[in-house]
Amino acid sequence: MASAAVTCSAGAARRMLLLPPRPTVTLLRPSVPVTRSLSTTANHSSVCRHSHTQQQSIRSRHIRPESQRTPASQLQTRAYHSHDHPAPPRPFTEAETTLLSAALQHVPEHGFGPEALAHGARDVGLLDISAAVLPDGPFSLIRYHLYAQRTGLAAKKDDLFQGTEAIMTVSEKVEALTWARLRGNEVIIGKWQEALAIMAMPSQAPTAAKELGCLADEIYYLAGDLSVDPSWYTKRASLSAIYAATELFMTTDRSPGFQETRAFLRRRLDEASSLGGAVRSVSQWLSFTGSAAVNVLRSKGVRI
Amino acid sequence: MASSHPVLLRTVARAAARLSPPPQIIQAARQLSTGASTLSSHATASNTPPPPPPESPKGKKPLTPSQKAFLSSALRVNQAGELAATLIYTAQTPPVVRREPHLKPLMKHMYDQEADHLRVFNHLIAKHRVRPTALYPLWSVMATGLGWSTAIMGKEAAMACTEAVETEIGGHYNAQIRKLLEMVTEWEAEGYEVGEEFRDLINTLRRIRDEELEHLDHAVEHDAQKAEPHWLLTGVIRAGCRGAIWVSERV
Amino acid sequence: MATAAARQAMSRPSLLRIIPRPRQQQQLISLRFSSSSSATSSSPPKTPEYAIPDPSRPTHFGYETVTEAEKRKRVAGVFTSVAESYDRMNDLMSFGWHRIWKDHFVSTLNPGFSPLSGSSPSGPQHILDIAGGTGDIAFRMLHHAHVVNANPSVRVTISDINRAMLSVGKARATTDLPASQQEALSFVEANAENLSQTRPLQPILSETEQTFFDPATATSGIPDASVDLYTVAFGIRNFSNIPAALREAHRVLKPGGVFACLEFSKADKWTSIFESLYKEWSFRAIPLIGQLVAGDRDSYQYLVESIERFPSQEEFRDMIVDAGFVVAGKGYEDLTGGVAAIHRGMKPRK
Repeated sequence: MASAAVTCSAGAARRMLLLPPRPTVTLLRPSVPVTRSLSTTANHSSVCRHSHTQQQSIRSRHIRPESQRTPASQLQTRAYHSHDHPAPPRPFTEAETTLLSAALQHVPEHGFGPEALAHGARDVGLLDISAAVLPDGPFSLIRYHLYAQRTGLAAKKDDLFQGTEAIMTVSEKVEALTWARLRGNEVIIGKWQEALAIMAMPSQAPTAAKELGCLADEIYYLAGDLSVDPSWYTKRASLSAIYAATELFMTTDRSPGFQETRAFLRRRLDEASSLGGAVRSVSQWLSFTGSAAVNVLRSKGVRI
Repeated sequence: MASSHPVLLRTVARAAARLSPPPQIIQAARQLSTGASTLSSHATASNTPPPPPPESPKGKKPLTPSQKAFLSSALRVNQAGELAATLIYTAQTPPVVRREPHLKPLMKHMYDQEADHLRVFNHLIAKHRVRPTALYPLWSVMATGLGWSTAIMGKEAAMACTEAVETEIGGHYNAQIRKLLEMVTEWEAEGYEVGEEFRDLINTLRRIRDEELEHLDHAVEHDAQKAEPHWLLTGVIRAGCRGAIWVSERV
Repeated sequence: MATAAARQAMSRPSLLRIIPRPRQQQQLISLRFSSSSSATSSSPPKTPEYAIPDPSRPTHFGYETVTEAEKRKRVAGVFTSVAESYDRMNDLMSFGWHRIWKDHFVSTLNPGFSPLSGSSPSGPQHILDIAGGTGDIAFRMLHHAHVVNANPSVRVTISDINRAMLSVGKARATTDLPASQQEALSFVEANAENLSQTRPLQPILSETEQTFFDPATATSGIPDASVDLYTVAFGIRNFSNIPAALREAHRVLKPGGVFACLEFSKADKWTSIFESLYKEWSFRAIPLIGQLVAGDRDSYQYLVESIERFPSQEEFRDMIVDAGFVVAGKGYEDLTGGVAAIHRGMKPRK
């Protein structure tokens, strides 16, 4: 009997909760006094039960429609990656991509500036003035480089792991991917300091920082990291910081094959993981001690 | 008289309550089930699988930025909610079970279901590359505090807490499902295909919502309404839930 | 008769005037451009009917609906009457920001820039500044190309439908510009909707002469694919037929050439408070100031109404794409919260 009643009322509640929301503010008011009078005057379970169901039906009418709930999309760098739906349009139009990828070829010689853009435009049969169509001039070129390198990482993944993906740890994969990304700067390394200077300008810094965050996220995603707790933030923040420092280090590295940069990267990642490990141990210790204390008190008969 | 036939009366009262909604609500419910897509008829009968999607030459439509924003904030708030739920039950179980040992299986059952929901959303968050809520530690502390303090107040208060939380959560899941169904209807009307990923998501949300509402009923069965003062307790907790949902949709 | 009534309507005290009805405006725009849905084609599609100038077709003059020919005449009237105080008008509408916008407009286009190594395969740059009568943009272009980029081969042509405006520009050029820059500058009278009919600037001999360009007097034209950079600053909203003007721009530009437009736009990019304050300012204060300062309420009233009538950033971007241009990114740049916007498009190679 009881179980039948449960399923029955679950169905009723569900149906009532699923009703389309009604924007009736006036209905909200009566629900409180009704509840109060019923629950304070009536002690019989039957009446209580009735009041509960009635309350349900009243409440269900002012569940807010989600059209009023505005999720703030501005805060997010990127959202909901679908594996099923086609990818959204790329941030660069076709004409832009043609011009910018041609111009990138001239960056090692001419830097991230109007010269490279004009040379690139000539290469694809356009005019010296054509680059004027780009929304933010030379910074478009930098943005395109960052974007192309970041989205190119996914294709390099298989090459990097060479079938050893299953036995590599996440941090090994993170290191391999970060190193692969840094090597993407190799050809333009002579001009990268000037690019970093442009990226640090107040008007461009937000875009550059956002791009850095996207890169850290991409690396952790490709490395197969599945953590969805606060370490999601600390991992990405520390990788961003390490990447930015290593990138700067690399612009002054004259060692063959950028060995020193590689060593620098390794040291920074090791430091971060030992720091992260320390933080984890401390929080584990705290929660263990806390629950042990609670259990000791309980065993002593304290009613908590 | 009421005390002499409580079960009978309760059943009658419930039936009356179900029949009682004013005509416009019934009409609105009907509109929803007939006006929306084929899927929405399953909104009430939850566990039946949807019909196989018709093959469409147009394929799937790219998600718009606002749809993506909705989906990611929905997954984020769901994960935060289930995290809070597991912690509430974890904190409630020892004090409640010490007083009422027969409730142990029920508490464990509810906890196990919540833990499963949390696993589901952890998986979805990672799969869809959604940022988890930034206030994770805050929710952990608040949920543990809420569970523990209501359990200390007694079994009735603990159950009232479950009742209040699950009422909010049930409505919240329903709002999400409704919105997803709207998206499906829109795609179908435009001749786009609706992907497996999306249908799975809707079905998962339905299953979880049903289990949450089951907890609501368990709570009511176990004297949630006898908590004193019930209106204050549930009012405060529900307001807190709404606030937490509002915040975790954003950060 | 109709004109008299219209003028009467225009000179109603603006403090009592009902503030703009954007919905009505959008309706008109969607009516005019509803057939332009093929937004993705890169080469100009067959010229749609709405993009062929037709003197008898209705268009709008501020909030009035008049024929294209009538609008041309009336706009000429407005600009003839304000030619001398044109800068003051822009100062009022932009709180003086228009000078900074114009500097930004010119420096981001970077005219005359050419890599030091290798000679430009496309010959010296030719810039066509449409509706540029007073020379504001053209003088900046010349300075940037000749001085900043040290490229004296760049030529600039100023075109305007209104001789009164051109004459102001010409006079300013002779007093303000060095001789080398004056040599690189030319003035033509033309209607931007049909640049195949132009004539060099003729001096105004008598006060009764009509100041707007009459195609019957044309002696020359701007050939196809002859321009590197087409600019129009605070002019395009006065055109009777904007799609036709965009198609003409596409015709005269070389492949790879750039269309750039600086225009007042929808100031809704910051907050609705800013937008409504800006509307209050433009609809209540500016006509009044026009009356007090210049004794010419109607012209200033037209100015604010024409800004309100102009399509939004996104709509105008789509019109540019419809005319056969390709855009980069979102296709426009907002200035000062969208009070003005720069739209750029490139004519693609075939």
